[in-house]
Amino acid sequence: MAVLRRSPPAPSVTPGGASSQARARRRPFRDNPILLLLGILGLIALLAGTMTLASRSNRLSPDFLSEVVLYALSVVDVTMLVALVFVLARSVIKILVERRRGLPFARFRAKLVIALLAMTLVPAVLVLGVGSELILTSVDRWFNAPMDEILGSAQRIASDYYRERQRQVSDEAARLARSLGPLDLGKADVGPVRDVVAPAVADLLAGLVEVYRAPRPTEPAGVPVSVVDVASPTMPFVVSRASADGLASRAMADQPDAWLREPLDSGGELIRAAAPIRRADGAVAGAVVASLHLTGDMEQRARRMTKAYESYNQLRVMKQPLTGVYLSFFLMMTLMILVGASWMGLYLAKRITRPVQRIASAAKEIGAGHFEHRVEPETSDEFGSLVEAFNSMADELAGNRQRLEQSTHELERKHSEVEERRRFTEAVLERVATGVVTIDETGRITTINPAALRLLGLAASVVGEPAATVFGAADLQPLAAFALARGAGAKDPHPQELSLTRDGREVALAVASTRLHTEGGAADGRVLVVDDITPLIRAQKVAAWREVARRLAHEIKNPLTPIQLCAQRLQRQFATSPDHVRALVDECTTTIVGEVDALKALVDEFSQFARMPAARREPTDLHELLRRTLALYDGLFERVRIETLFAVDVPRVRLDPDQVRRVIINLIDNAVEAMSQEGQIVIETQHDPAAAVVRVIIADNGPGIAPGDRDKLFMPYFSTKKRGSGLGLAIVRRIVAEHGGTIEVGDNQPSGTRFTMELPCEPDGAGLTGAV
Amino acid sequence: MTVTRWLVIALAAAVLGSADPSRPVEVTAVARDGRINVSCVLAGVRLDELDEPIRAGLTTSITFDADLRRPLWWFDRTMASASVVASVRHDTLTGRYQLTRTIDGRTDDTLVTNDAGAARKFLAGFARLALFSTADLQPNVEYLVLVKVRTRPRVAWSFWPWESGAVSGSARFTFIP
Repeated sequence: MAVLRRSPPAPSVTPGGASSQARARRRPFRDNPILLLLGILGLIALLAGTMTLASRSNRLSPDFLSEVVLYALSVVDVTMLVALVFVLARSVIKILVERRRGLPFARFRAKLVIALLAMTLVPAVLVLGVGSELILTSVDRWFNAPMDEILGSAQRIASDYYRERQRQVSDEAARLARSLGPLDLGKADVGPVRDVVAPAVADLLAGLVEVYRAPRPTEPAGVPVSVVDVASPTMPFVVSRASADGLASRAMADQPDAWLREPLDSGGELIRAAAPIRRADGAVAGAVVASLHLTGDMEQRARRMTKAYESYNQLRVMKQPLTGVYLSFFLMMTLMILVGASWMGLYLAKRITRPVQRIASAAKEIGAGHFEHRVEPETSDEFGSLVEAFNSMADELAGNRQRLEQSTHELERKHSEVEERRRFTEAVLERVATGVVTIDETGRITTINPAALRLLGLAASVVGEPAATVFGAADLQPLAAFALARGAGAKDPHPQELSLTRDGREVALAVASTRLHTEGGAADGRVLVVDDITPLIRAQKVAAWREVARRLAHEIKNPLTPIQLCAQRLQRQFATSPDHVRALVDECTTTIVGEVDALKALVDEFSQFARMPAARREPTDLHELLRRTLALYDGLFERVRIETLFAVDVPRVRLDPDQVRRVIINLIDNAVEAMSQEGQIVIETQHDPAAAVVRVIIADNGPGIAPGDRDKLFMPYFSTKKRGSGLGLAIVRRIVAEHGGTIEVGDNQPSGTRFTMELPCEPDGAGLTGAV
Repeated sequence: MTVTRWLVIALAAAVLGSADPSRPVEVTAVARDGRINVSCVLAGVRLDELDEPIRAGLTTSITFDADLRRPLWWFDRTMASASVVASVRHDTLTGRYQLTRTIDGRTDDTLVTNDAGAARKFLAGFARLALFSTADLQPNVEYLVLVKVRTRPRVAWSFWPWESGAVSGSARFTFIP
């Protein structure tokens, strides 16, 4: 029976299972389009913010620029640099590890990554170098000598103008203070004071003049008291008095720099200066505050010039930090591009090689026999289609593998069946008594079974030899016509019964020959079947003779009694007859009665041969049976010596002791008679476990039997003796045949006859120790 | 040490002036009337380098970060801190300097002057400012007043900006109630 082998257990990864597991897994960041989009938007926002910051860098406060912006840009630059180094180092390490592990497409991926990085790094570094140089050159060109001269001159013009106005006002205040010194400012009449002050206002030396006196002891100390103020019509209506009071106080306190600029809400500004009014003794009697109004246009122009100058100078002062901002920004942009391009390059390389790597890995798995291995498609692009195609191919392979395994199993089963049949056929051919010889189409013997070897007297070495050579021998010549008929057109010879002489014995064979054909009908040799029908013919002869014996006994025995009675009656009737008549009658009747008795005895033997009783077999100690049988001959024949040669391992044999005893006696009687009651008889037993037989050999040293008589020896009514019915050995053979055994006759060495009787024995029969 | 690091140090030294490297900042601390009066002078620091940003109209300031510490090898030796900022704003139109000094954000003194020397002197230090209280001090214990000085704006630049850029000075005193 063919053994169905199960395929190895499927790997854990199955198409359905892989999909569910993959769905269960979280998609990595790089494959999440929403996160990617958010990341790109974040980068764009960062770039926009940075660009906005850079565009406003000249308007940022120096502290913010030199400390916050520069620090922030430096942090971003360092972060980007670390990120770039990390990305590059990670990629290099991964490439080295992959190449060391010999992963598929590692070299291709390394080349791809190196190419992408080179395509990114080289231009970026070049742009960085050139751009940095351009920035440095541009910043240097911002601050050139003509610009310094122009802005410096403009600023000096504005500054000189202001200082001139300030000196003019200060001088006018001092002049008025000297003019007012002789006057008593404490009087109620302020006319003289106004008379001194009014011309200055009228001459536009001052737009506004305010006169203060020192406080009296009864008044708060240190707080000047306004005496009079004279303003020109061009002065703005609203002017702060507080600043004038402060200036007056400072002047009266003899503090230096008693002047100020006072912006006006209506536009323009006032330049105010104060001077103390001293009496003749030098004591401070009051103060004069002179104010000059600068119109808005003038003030704004001066301010703009100053502002431009300051801005320019501030830019020049902040040249290094600004350069740092631009360089840092440019470096940041370059690093961002490098990091982004490197990451994108690596990502693209991975996206390109990863499906191929996975397919290669899956191909290895499938090559190793894991046909259930599948590649989970990660994208729906061409690589996804490639993966799908690979999975389809794997499905086909798995299906083919399954079908192949099924076919293999079926083939193995059929092969097993065929092998079993072959072994059965071989066993049958080995055991069968029919000889079978196969001859191929080329005329060579392909197989020959032991029965054929035995029947045809061939050796096993004839296999492979030409049949023409083997069957061309003289003794096998009758078989040649059966063996040598070849070709598709050759007709099968009719089965025939042939007679061959093997080892001096005539063997009757039934021979048939049949052509062999392939499934396509082509000639495929021939099979020659040889049956030994000698026992069959013998049996048929015996059966015929038994029928003859039965009828003969029946037909002869019936008239014998009347004949005998008539002869006895004649004897009684002629008892009183003359002597010569009575002697003649006695002689004749005695002869008739004697011959009738002899015929009766003969008929009895015939009848016995015809009605041989069935053997009653029972387990019997063969040696004991032989000893008791041989005991009958003790002292019977003085010149005959009977020896025994018993084997030690002869088991009990199922046989009919009476019939076997008759066989032994018959054979010994024949031997004694053949030796003319003088010679040696050897009784030998053998046990052949392989053939499951017990042999009893009875050999004498008499004259022997001619080979031509041996085949007839066991036939009824054949006898070499002068007196004998010829039924003894026929009965012997029949008894042996009734026991399932055989008996053969051969020559004894150096002389005499040797009968070999084989009786079947039980394979597990109890052993018997025989005495020699 | 990299070239950049050397440049940073050189620029910082240029800003704060090249002076006595051993005592660029002279600090004096005196405990009196329950207060610790601290005086600080940038003796070894040249302030000429500040003239350019000042003349450019930039608000230029010098920050004195003073720490009162116990001179022990302790995890946190700082007992109190104060920040004195002296700033100047120059009006290029009128040529006047507006000076302001704040202590921990509170205005301590203001001054308007046309004298550049007075402005520089105003920036170069302070005298007898009561920065700390003696309430937490232990008698007959030595304390340390450490003053770190840094200027604004920073007109130097380096790719690695995390340099202190500051000079410092200190004064030890024993508190005797």
